[in-house]
Amino acid sequence: MNTPPPSRQRIFARIRAATQLAAETRSSVKGTSSVGQGFSPDNKPAQSMGAGRGGFQPTHLSPEVISSESLPRTYIRHGQLSPAARISLMIERLREYDAEVVECSPEELPNTIAAQLAASGKHKFVAPPGTPAAWMVTAAWQIQGLEWNIDHGLTTAEIEQAEGVVTAAFCGVADSGTIVLHHSPAEGRRVLTLLPDWHLCILRASQIVETLPEYFHRCPQPPALATWISGPSATADIEMTRIKGVHGPRFLHVILVRDE
Amino acid sequence: MNLAAAGHPVLDPTLAPPFPQAALPVLRNPQLRKNVAHAIDVIQAKRAKLVAEKADWQELRSAASAIRDHALENLGYYLEQFEARCTAAGGVVHWATDAAEARAIILELLRQENASEVIKIKTMTSAEIQLNPFLEAAGISAYETDLAEIILQLGDEEPSHIVVPALHINRSQVREIFARRMGLKDLSDDPQALTNAARTWLRQKFLTIPTAISGANFLIAETGSVVVVESEGNGRMCLTLPRAMITLAGIEKVLPRFQDLEVMLQLLARSATGERMNPYTSLWTGVTPGDGPERFHVVLLDNGRSSILASSRERQTLKCIRCAACMNTCPVYRQTGGHAYGSVYPGPIGAILTPQLMRMQHAQSLPYASSLCGACYEVCPVKINIPEVLLDLRALVTDQERGQFRRFLDPMYLGLRIANLIFSRAWLFHAAQFFGRIGLRFFTRKDGWIHSLPSLGAKWTQTRDLRGLPSQTFHGWWAARGSKPMKEAK
Repeated sequence: MNTPPPSRQRIFARIRAATQLAAETRSSVKGTSSVGQGFSPDNKPAQSMGAGRGGFQPTHLSPEVISSESLPRTYIRHGQLSPAARISLMIERLREYDAEVVECSPEELPNTIAAQLAASGKHKFVAPPGTPAAWMVTAAWQIQGLEWNIDHGLTTAEIEQAEGVVTAAFCGVADSGTIVLHHSPAEGRRVLTLLPDWHLCILRASQIVETLPEYFHRCPQPPALATWISGPSATADIEMTRIKGVHGPRFLHVILVRDE
Repeated sequence: MNLAAAGHPVLDPTLAPPFPQAALPVLRNPQLRKNVAHAIDVIQAKRAKLVAEKADWQELRSAASAIRDHALENLGYYLEQFEARCTAAGGVVHWATDAAEARAIILELLRQENASEVIKIKTMTSAEIQLNPFLEAAGISAYETDLAEIILQLGDEEPSHIVVPALHINRSQVREIFARRMGLKDLSDDPQALTNAARTWLRQKFLTIPTAISGANFLIAETGSVVVVESEGNGRMCLTLPRAMITLAGIEKVLPRFQDLEVMLQLLARSATGERMNPYTSLWTGVTPGDGPERFHVVLLDNGRSSILASSRERQTLKCIRCAACMNTCPVYRQTGGHAYGSVYPGPIGAILTPQLMRMQHAQSLPYASSLCGACYEVCPVKINIPEVLLDLRALVTDQERGQFRRFLDPMYLGLRIANLIFSRAWLFHAAQFFGRIGLRFFTRKDGWIHSLPSLGAKWTQTRDLRGLPSQTFHGWWAARGSKPMKEAK
């Protein structure tokens, strides 16, 4: 189905008429409006906007269109904590969300993964296709009856049957205890970290930033897919009582690899 | 069918009774008021704690306000950019001027998918266009998947809040609804057990229904991405398992850049639920082969929004990111709950948004549903000056009434006209004082207080007493002062 173009045109015509009207009112009643302050008209349009994918050619470019980059941003961009304090803040925040956190050195990682899997009492695990073999081999060797199912196009039913999932992560944000997935081959498809009830996430210390703006600073190219995870699935819809595990994984375990 | 008379809240602004009338059922329902107050107290306490720990809270608010202002000021530009980028990434963008058009587009898309069932992420915009009853009438079952929305849908209840829509329903009421509708006789009223029941009830639906509908918290113009903020994981289920995805979003939801999320995401969860970050935030861009839906549609809804843009002051209404902090802090909302606002958007933001979406043709009582205390402005993460807009809208309502003959039948209007006449003539004023004094003497008890008045006066005395008039007026005392020794008024 094609949307009838008149609707699109009508909406743009209304917006154009409304924004022009407002701009005229604003310039005739100077200083009475708080709207529109914060940037000056001599800012230049963002250079990157015309190019890029989509071949975007603006036809509704008003003279006031400028880059939103030049808007006032006086909030805290960079954290002040030492690396050690940043990592302990991340651990503290994760634990506040009832996530289990263990630390290890890069050399200890395979054994630590195996220990976590063994302690979970579960046996059927899925892992994304980019998972390093070393992460899986030790556990498979140590734990009897352990089953690894690598996601080379697993069906939903196969993922649903898994008891747990092991993935890497893109970034950790200490301020809010957030784990960010950009769904690379080592982080897995979105559904992979969703259906299994138990999620073990491997986060390297060098991936941890203190503030959310620092994470965005690490993304020169915006991701096409991203999931920000802050603790296990939860709800407070019944009398504001926090209940863990509604639809997503009920258990979030994090192994923090001290690689710094 | 008169739903209001049957005690069922009406959330269609074209049909809802005026606010003071709609508020009465709640004011007379102590259980409901208790449920609302409890939920609000919990959120407020958590929010206050987390906002206090943020050293740059005010700077974040200023930045968010500037970003939203900028996006609205250049809305046409950013919408076009969003459309181009989303289309390039494999999405299909549709435009709906009003609710009817949006419903028709969504129905047509569902027909193309041969859908008889659809799963839904919580979206207030779909409630705004009354999508569920429309789909039901067209033979398509829409299943809400957010816990609060399931409670409302199964219990045939209406949302009373935009973030926790079922906050007016307590655990034993939820137990009753679930036991009845899910056929679980032995269900306990423990929130954990109730949540588990919802999980089990929905799991099969997630795994089998191949079409989903969502709202959007943000649209990113720079990338054509859509962002959904949630807690439970039902959103992630709907975003990843189905083959086809339809997102309904108001045209005002657009943000210029991906990086703008660094401001919004720091403010939203703290303001909405008192968390540093909500458990799950999902961002997707069009269609990604091998991950998630194969077909993705965005329906961009105007439905009165573009008309709000025209006034540079009222425009700030559209900056809203739907955190509900304003209703959580509002002393009026606390007493009346959400249903009294006769709209899916209650509270202070609803009081300014609803009448404007209705182009001031309905919901004119809402701008008066406020004490203008300013608490909503203080907590708003994008600095919407709600009291300022409320006053502007009151002026518009007054202007509308100026031309109406009906006002001559309004006792308030007539009373003020008469008062105007009396206060502008000294002799009339003295005469009114004289006769008023005589008249009120019949109602003044021995203790010097008036406990009840008839007719319009009862509106005052039914909730509080009125002190009887002193035996002498100030004018009388002043005139008598020089010639006689001063007497104390009794």
